[in-house]
Amino acid sequence: MTRLTTTADGADLRAPASARRRDGSRDGFGAAFVLMLPAIALYGLFSLTPILFTVWISFTNSGGFNTEASFVGLDNYLRAGDDPIVWQSLGRTFLWLGYHVVLAGGLGLVLALAVSRLSRTRVFFRTAFFLPHLVSLAVVGVIWANIYDPFYGLISTALTQIGLGSWNQGWLSDPLLVLFSVNVASSWQGFGLYMLLFIAGLQNIDQSLYEAAEIDGANSWQKLCNVTLPGLRDVMTFVISLAMINGLKGFATVFVMTNGGPFYASEIITTYIYRLAFQAQDHGLAAVLCILMSLLAIVITVAFNRWRARQAA
Amino acid sequence: MSRRKPSELPAVLMLLPVLVVIVGPFLWLIVSSLKTEREIGRGDPFSFPAQLMWQNYIDAWNIGNFGSLIGNSLINVLGVVTLTLLVCAPAGYALAKIRFPGREWVFYAFIFGLTIPVQAVIIPLYQLLSNLGMINSLWGVTLAQVSNGIPFGLFLMRSFFMGVPNELTEAAKIDGANHFQILTRVFLPLSQPAISALLIISALSTWNDFFLPLVMLISPGNQTLPLGLVRFASTYNTDFRLVFSGTVITFLPVIILYILTQRRFTEGLTQGALKG
Repeated sequence: MTRLTTTADGADLRAPASARRRDGSRDGFGAAFVLMLPAIALYGLFSLTPILFTVWISFTNSGGFNTEASFVGLDNYLRAGDDPIVWQSLGRTFLWLGYHVVLAGGLGLVLALAVSRLSRTRVFFRTAFFLPHLVSLAVVGVIWANIYDPFYGLISTALTQIGLGSWNQGWLSDPLLVLFSVNVASSWQGFGLYMLLFIAGLQNIDQSLYEAAEIDGANSWQKLCNVTLPGLRDVMTFVISLAMINGLKGFATVFVMTNGGPFYASEIITTYIYRLAFQAQDHGLAAVLCILMSLLAIVITVAFNRWRARQAA
Repeated sequence: MSRRKPSELPAVLMLLPVLVVIVGPFLWLIVSSLKTEREIGRGDPFSFPAQLMWQNYIDAWNIGNFGSLIGNSLINVLGVVTLTLLVCAPAGYALAKIRFPGREWVFYAFIFGLTIPVQAVIIPLYQLLSNLGMINSLWGVTLAQVSNGIPFGLFLMRSFFMGVPNELTEAAKIDGANHFQILTRVFLPLSQPAISALLIISALSTWNDFFLPLVMLISPGNQTLPLGLVRFASTYNTDFRLVFSGTVITFLPVIILYILTQRRFTEGLTQGALKG
């Protein structure tokens, strides 16, 4: 859940086992319906219906809110195919996802391994490393826009102070660097949750495996490769899928720090949807991108659930 | 094992530079927020202010209307958390413990929502709230956020309830309890861990949400804290002391709250994320 958010979108989609088991009650439908009614009403109205309408809008020439629109067939899809910004923002979205998995997922893993070895200072480091995750991504955008500020920012002033002023870059103005720079801000906020998940995974590894490895004369590196990392496999697939979904939903840092610029260099799918829907009022094209984004999310979720199911088998 | 643990000093020494990099931005903001504009302009991030400028905070608070932003965010969080629990607990119970035809399909319909990002439905969602007269209203945003969180909350409550033995349900039934009574008297008192996980996760995600408030809340008086800070920071983007102290006002309360409750918080967040 931005939902922290963001939370559990890599959920396990396998059939609920209890549905097939005999369990307590057989009466039924009436009671279940009443208990589910508020959820069905809210979710149906604010989540399911908008999904259907998004599909409809993608086939119309809607030019804004509260306007008439008519059916135009596949027009918007063809326009999307011809729009270079669509392709570019899609490419940047994948790059953005990759950066986030590597930077945030990687840092989360490394710090989880390090923190788990501590005893007395463990809670201190775990707490301190988690602090960035408490900050809203929008606020993270404000913070890091200032960190990258070419004149007063933390990076440029610190580099100048220690005599490395020549290392300064246009962190947010260089088209080749900007997406990475913004992603560092997002990943700074994101890694804490992944770290906690990895720490929980490490606690679930059977300690006797380490003892057995020691008896076999394994060194720390061999223990890491042969016991720890295989033991983290489940959590690892979960974190990768979660990080990909969180990356896909990434919006606030880009919106706040660069608004997609310079020259669309940091435009990702969400910022382009926002621009098309609320600034250009091109709802048809925006809806096509919305569908594309949903499909990407579905593919990621399903692929990782298959992968996890296969691992479990 | 009786073997002595090796000293953790080397590990701590290796982690200290990482700590500085991770926590550095907070410290830099806090120190800079207490400087004068002239001291910030000198461009030395490692220096301390000659005199602590608490006045920066008073100015930022008044100019940025942070009192109203924090109030709106609190109302928003309270609304989302309360509604999420009221909606997800009964539905999670029904899907976990009542047998009825089509149960799996209902469950899948809810789980489907877990995969659809809110940005992907924003156009009809905006139109819908506009038709309901709820644009620029905290209630509109709250309802949209609750709905967005239903799949996760329901999934969490359902998986927790499924772990409660059926014998308890049966016993309560024999005593003549109906489903509503079983839920409120047997299940809810047992499900404190699931409830606190859901509470923590939905409170944090709502407090930090930006996209829905950005789209829906137009007038500054109705905006929530992250949105208000972004507007404030772009309005006064050359007035660094204001931007810095406003930013600190935004993140400090949550960080203090977290440090005070960190054990419970970490537990709830991890369990919630792993269950979900």
